[in-house]
Amino acid sequence: MLHLIQTQPNSLSKDLHEDICEDSVFKGLYERLADDLHDYLYYKYGERLTPSDKAQEAFIKLWENCKKVTPSKAKSFLYTVANNLMLNEVKHQKVVLKYQNEKPSESTNESPEFILEKEEYFKKYQEVLASLTEEQRTAFLLNKAEGKKHEEIAQLLGVTRKVVEYRIYSAFKILRAKLEDFNIK
Amino acid sequence: MEMRMDQDYLIQKWLAGELTPEEEKAFEAMEDAPFLREIAGDATKFRASQFSRAKQYDDFKKVLNAHKTPVRKLNWVRPLMRIASIFVLGFALYYFFFYDSLTQVETQFGEKVTINLPDGSAVTVNALSEIAYNEKNWNGDRKIRLEGEAFFDVAKGKQFVVSTPTGEVTVLGTEFNVRQRDSFFEVKCFEGTVKVNFEDHETILDQGDKVRWYNGVLEQGENTYSIPQWTKNVSDFQRVDVVEVFAELERQYGVKVTLENVGGERLFTGGFVHDNLDNALKSITVPLDLDYVILETDKVRVKPREK
Repeated sequence: MLHLIQTQPNSLSKDLHEDICEDSVFKGLYERLADDLHDYLYYKYGERLTPSDKAQEAFIKLWENCKKVTPSKAKSFLYTVANNLMLNEVKHQKVVLKYQNEKPSESTNESPEFILEKEEYFKKYQEVLASLTEEQRTAFLLNKAEGKKHEEIAQLLGVTRKVVEYRIYSAFKILRAKLEDFNIK
Repeated sequence: MEMRMDQDYLIQKWLAGELTPEEEKAFEAMEDAPFLREIAGDATKFRASQFSRAKQYDDFKKVLNAHKTPVRKLNWVRPLMRIASIFVLGFALYYFFFYDSLTQVETQFGEKVTINLPDGSAVTVNALSEIAYNEKNWNGDRKIRLEGEAFFDVAKGKQFVVSTPTGEVTVLGTEFNVRQRDSFFEVKCFEGTVKVNFEDHETILDQGDKVRWYNGVLEQGENTYSIPQWTKNVSDFQRVDVVEVFAELERQYGVKVTLENVGGERLFTGGFVHDNLDNALKSITVPLDLDYVILETDKVRVKPREK
């Protein structure tokens, strides 16, 4: 009898919190989902559309609707809202992703020609990233820049692992072809 | 070609992190291997966290708290605003369709106005009278409200209705005069056919006919003129109480007439002009053997003539 009573909460553990209006639950969700949501928006739409603000707005919307959204639905709610916020803003603005310049002062043995060529190379890299489809760029950068595993990305984007791999491969193929001029043999 | 396909296969496996030790060696042996590694590795230079990050929860919480209060307020203000907007819209529509579209014309003492209606009909409104009609919907419903006296020249077309407090006049296209003053209601038809309804009566007037409902007495007769005389600046009467005659004089000249020892119900037949008060007063008083004094510019006293 006792055994039966004890198993009940366990079997219901997923629906323990019916909604996410409780502060601790919401905080947990935020800490678990905010970074991924932000990075996803950044890689997909670039930094001009202020992914950090959009992620914040999406969470505010989530809080406003906390009575209606269950914890299991929170993620897709956030991604949908954030995507819509982005699309509302500008439909097809050119995606710009920044890259980190290496400081030449530390590596003085590099010739000015080398540094110039590096600069050209990253500019081209940036252009190619911008020319990729949203899907290709998001999958590729989540994997290569963010170091996320294919399986994680698949879950994040709601597609199969095979699709993620194909997107990464297509992105890489384009990068390689377009950057071929910088290939010093 | 074989070599190229092989390379693509290796790159695919390498990207997926699924190279076997043998494949690993084959990949390293490729001429482009360092270049491929460089491209893949340089992606980290584009890493989001170097330029933009999600806010810390505590920062987010501050924004949320600042956001919360107005949101709560709006939640009940918004439905109220919706209800309010329905009222505003309702009133706007009401005014648009019923109020605003009603054209009203009111004449002052001694004033006569000719109005052209949207269908080409014309109304000449006598002094101190009022007409109202729906200009927007005129071609759908030719209905005009009249208080006072007006002469109508109606263009052919749908039924044309003149509605007065005493009775209604329905026509198809004709010329007619309607006069409704207090208990006096008279319709004269100058062209075409007119149907007159008042209380229980219905009368059809042909060209030249007139009908009069005066002090409870119904009278039918023929017109003396082919056009109402008031439109020619002459008022004409046939056996009308002298009180009513002076009332018309008051309307045309904007004066106040006082009767002293004069029986108001004496009947008068005749007319007076609208452009000369002296002449007008003479036309009324001489046949009735009365006398008049113009006291001030707007006051007239009438009394029996002294022998």
